[in-house]
Amino acid sequence: MTAYLLRRLGTSIIVLIGISIFIFLLLHAIFPSPARVVLGLRTNNAAIAAWNKQNGFDDPVIVQYLRYMNNLLHGNFGYSYAENQTVASLFAERLARSIYLSGISLLIAILIALPLGIFQAVKRNTLGDNIATSIAFILYSMPVFFLGLILIQVFALSFPIFNFEASQSTNVFVVIGDWHSMFLPVLTLVLLTVANFSRYMRSSSIDVLAQDYIKVARAKGLPERLVLSRHMVRNASLPMITLIGLFLPALLAGNLIVETLFNYQGLGLLFYNSLGKEDYPVMLAYTLLGAVFVLLGNLVADIALTVADPRIRLA
Amino acid sequence: MMKLRSRKTIGGLALAVASLTALAACSSSGSGSASPTSTAGAVTQPGSIGAIPAAGTPSGKAGSITYGYQSSNAPNWIFPITTAAANSVYNSFVFDWQMWRPLYYYPQGTTITVDQQLSPVAPPVWSNGDKTMSITLKGWKWSNGQTISSKDLLFTMDEIAAAVKASPANWASYVPGFFPSTITSMSTPNAKTLVVNMKSAVNPTWMEQDILSAIMIMPAAEWAKDSASGPTLDFTNPANALKIFNYLTAQAKSVNTYATNPLWQTVYGPYKLTSFNATTGAFSFAPNPAYSGPHANPMSKFVGVPFTSNAAQFNAIKSGSVDVAAVPPEDNPQIPTLKGAGYNYFGIPAFGDYFVSYNFMNKTGNFDKIVAQLYFRQAMQHLEDQEGQIKAYFNGDGVPGYTTVAQYPPTPFYPSNAKTNPYAFSVSTAVSVLKAHGWNVVPNGTDTCAHAGTGPGECGAGIPAGTKLAFNLIYNTTPPIPQEVTNLASNAKQAGIQITLSGSNFNYMIQNYNDAASPANANKWAAEDFGGEGFTPYPTAFGFLNTNGSGQIGNYSNPTADSLINSSITSPNPQAVTNELAFFATNLPVLWQPLRDHTYAWKTNVSSTQPEAFENLTQYTVTPEFWYLTK
Repeated sequence: MTAYLLRRLGTSIIVLIGISIFIFLLLHAIFPSPARVVLGLRTNNAAIAAWNKQNGFDDPVIVQYLRYMNNLLHGNFGYSYAENQTVASLFAERLARSIYLSGISLLIAILIALPLGIFQAVKRNTLGDNIATSIAFILYSMPVFFLGLILIQVFALSFPIFNFEASQSTNVFVVIGDWHSMFLPVLTLVLLTVANFSRYMRSSSIDVLAQDYIKVARAKGLPERLVLSRHMVRNASLPMITLIGLFLPALLAGNLIVETLFNYQGLGLLFYNSLGKEDYPVMLAYTLLGAVFVLLGNLVADIALTVADPRIRLA
Repeated sequence: MMKLRSRKTIGGLALAVASLTALAACSSSGSGSASPTSTAGAVTQPGSIGAIPAAGTPSGKAGSITYGYQSSNAPNWIFPITTAAANSVYNSFVFDWQMWRPLYYYPQGTTITVDQQLSPVAPPVWSNGDKTMSITLKGWKWSNGQTISSKDLLFTMDEIAAAVKASPANWASYVPGFFPSTITSMSTPNAKTLVVNMKSAVNPTWMEQDILSAIMIMPAAEWAKDSASGPTLDFTNPANALKIFNYLTAQAKSVNTYATNPLWQTVYGPYKLTSFNATTGAFSFAPNPAYSGPHANPMSKFVGVPFTSNAAQFNAIKSGSVDVAAVPPEDNPQIPTLKGAGYNYFGIPAFGDYFVSYNFMNKTGNFDKIVAQLYFRQAMQHLEDQEGQIKAYFNGDGVPGYTTVAQYPPTPFYPSNAKTNPYAFSVSTAVSVLKAHGWNVVPNGTDTCAHAGTGPGECGAGIPAGTKLAFNLIYNTTPPIPQEVTNLASNAKQAGIQITLSGSNFNYMIQNYNDAASPANANKWAAEDFGGEGFTPYPTAFGFLNTNGSGQIGNYSNPTADSLINSSITSPNPQAVTNELAFFATNLPVLWQPLRDHTYAWKTNVSSTQPEAFENLTQYTVTPEFWYLTK
C-alpha cells in the first residue's frame, strides 16, 4: 500500500507539472500579456510597458514560468492584479464556502440517491420505479439555471418560505446555521445530483441482482433483507465510489451556476470572473488546485474501492 | 475617458447599458427630441424611460439605504490616486467619491456637466494665456474638523506628479505630455488658493472637466508619511513624494483593512466607510457629520449590496430586498411590473457611444482604400437601422448615436448638425451613393468597382476595377451586439455589400484586433464591434480618434480631425469640442450605433431632495447623500 501511494504521489507530481506547463503556455499563447485588458483600451504604450515590467510580463515565458513555480513552492500563489489581493487570501475566503455548498449537497444527494436507486432496482418497473424514473429524467434534463430560477420563483418570491439568495456571511459556521438561506441552493444541487446518482445506482443494482451469487444466496433461503444488504448493496456501490470520487473536484470548483444564481461568493464564481478579467494568477492557481483535487479524488476512489471490495488489490 | 468595467468585462453594449424606468406606462422610444419636461412633478427626458419623482423634503427619519451592484465590480481600490488597473466607475464613482469628492464633480443628473454645488473648489480661474490656473477652495472641512487647505491641494498635485513619474500607469487620467508633466511651478498664495503654472496652454474646459474632475484632494497632515508611525515628510521633495506614494499605494493594496485603516477615515465627502467585506464586496458607509456640501438632513447610511449575477440582482428587486439597483438589460420587458413591486424607475443611456470600428490598415481586397473613401462610410451609415434596432433589440429603450456622444443624455457641447440623423437608414440611398461612385451594385450579390479612378463617378484612389465590396466584421458575442451586426450585414447585403461575420470576445478583440497592439493582425480584420466607450463631460475624442491616439483601434487618421481635436484640448475656446463632434457626425470615422438606456429602480419609499440624485445613477454615479426614507 505504501509503495502504491508513493508511486501515485510521484505520478501525480509529474502530471501536475505537465498541467502547469500546459496551462501556462496556453495562457501566454492566447495573451502574452493582459496589460491592455487590465489597463484599459486607451492606455498608452509607455504605461503598458511599465505595467509589463512591474508584473514580470516582459520576461521570456520560461523565466516567467520558473518564477511562478518557484513562488508556488514557497507557498506564494501570486497576486491578483484584478482583485488587488493575494490569490491565497482570495482562495481562503471562498474555499470553505464552496466546500460547504458542494459537500453538503453531495452528502445529502448520496444519502438519498443510493437507497432510491436500490429501491428502484428492487421494485423495477413498478409504479414507484416509474415515477422515480420520470422525475429523475425531468430533473436530469433540466438546466441548473432553470431549476434554480423555478425554485426561487416558487419558494422565495411567490411563496416566500425561503430566502431568494444564499447566506451572505463569510463565516462558514454562520453559513451552515443559516438553513433558511441555504435551503434552495442546496436543494437545487441535491435534486440534480440525486437524479444523476440514482440512475447509476439503479443500473448498477440491477446488474448485481442478476448475478449468480445473488441467486445462490436466495436459493440458500437467505432472507431478502440480508441478500440486499450483504450481497447487493456493497457490490452495487462499487461504481458509485468511482463516480463520487470524480465529483470531488466540484468541492473546489464550487458550483458556478448555483453561486451565480443564488448570490453566493465561492471559488467557481471567482474563477469565472478571473476569466473575464484576464486574471492570470487566479486562473493558474485555480487550474492547478483543480488538478490536485482531480488526482486526489481518483486516489481516494481507488483506495475506497479496496476497502469496499477486498478482492481489489492496489499494486 | 473613464473605463466602464462592466462594459469591459462583458464586452460592451449589453451589459453596461441597462435601463430603468418607471412611471407607469410611460415608456418612450429613443427618438425623442424635445427638452426635458416636468409632468405632474415628475421629470422625464427625451430618450428615457420612466421618470423621476419631484424633489421632496425629509421628514426627519434616517435609516439605511441599500444599493445593489454586481459583485464582479466590487471596489478594490481606495486610494484617491486611481491607477489605470484600478480605474473603474465602481472604484471611483460609487466608492471613492463617497469619501473624497473630485475637484469638479459630474454629472448634474442627466445633464452631463460639472455640478458646481457638489464640487469642493470654485471654477478655476485662468490667466497667462491659459498656462496658469488658480484653484480656490470653498472652505469645506475634513472629517477631523480641519478646513481643507491649499497645502492639501499642493500635496495632492505633488503626489500625482510623483506617481506618473514612477509609471504612467499609476494615474489613470494621465495623458502623456500633459498635466502634471507640464507643471513648471506651483504656489499657495493663501490657505484657500493653489496656483499652477504650466509650460503650455491647455483648453480650460477640457482641463476642468476631464482632468481636474478626476482629482480628489488628499489630507497632507495625515497622509504625508512613509510609514504608519513615521514623521510627516516634506512632500514637495520629489523623493519624499514618491516614498509617500509608495506607502499609500501599499496601504491601498490591503483590501481587508479598508474600513479599519485610520488613513481612510480622513475624508471630506458625504460618507465615511464603516465596513468592507473584501470577499463579497459588501460595504457600508455612515454619514460624515463634517460634510460641507449639500445633503438631505438627516442623511441615511449607504450600504452596498453585491450580487453575483443579473438574475440574482433582479430577484432581489422582485423580492423587495434592495432599495436601489440597476435593472439588468435582459429584464427590460419586466420593467412595467416594477411599479407593482413598489419601485420607481428611470433610464437613459450612459454618456458615451457605441460603434463599429473600421480598420484603415487592412489591405485585404483593398479594404484600406475602400474605407478611406467617405462615400463608402456614408453608404454604410445609411445601412445602419438605428431606430429599428432600438425597437427590436432594446425593447424600445434607447437613443440613436450620430457622433462621439449621443444627443441624450444632453451635453452643452452637442452639435446642431447631429440633432437629426445625417445619414438616415435607407438601403436605396446607400445603393445610390455607391452607384454614383462607380460601383456596379448587385443587390444580394457582391458589388464590384466598375469605374476605377479618382474622378467624379469613380471608385477612388487605389481601388482597381473589379474590386469587390466584401469584408469581414468581428463582433463581441455579448447580446445585443450579435443581433445588431447581423441586422447591419443583412441590410448591407441588400446593397450588395458582403459582410462576413465572426464572433469573438471583448478582451481578445482589443488585444488582437487592434492595429497598435497587434500590427501583425492588421489584414485579418476589416471591421469590429466590441461595444463602446464612456466619456467624461468634455467629450473630446483625443486618444480615440486622433492620429496615433493611444486608444486608436483601426488607425483612422484625418488632418481635420487632428486639428479639431488639438483645438479641443489646447485652444481657449470653451466650446471647441463641439466642432469636433460636428465633424465626426459627418466624417464617420466609425459606424455609429444606438445606445441602450441604463435603467435603475428604487423603492417608492426612497425619495430625494434633488431629482438629480436618481438621474445620476444612470451615469454610474451615486449621490446617496440626497436620498431619504419616507417611511
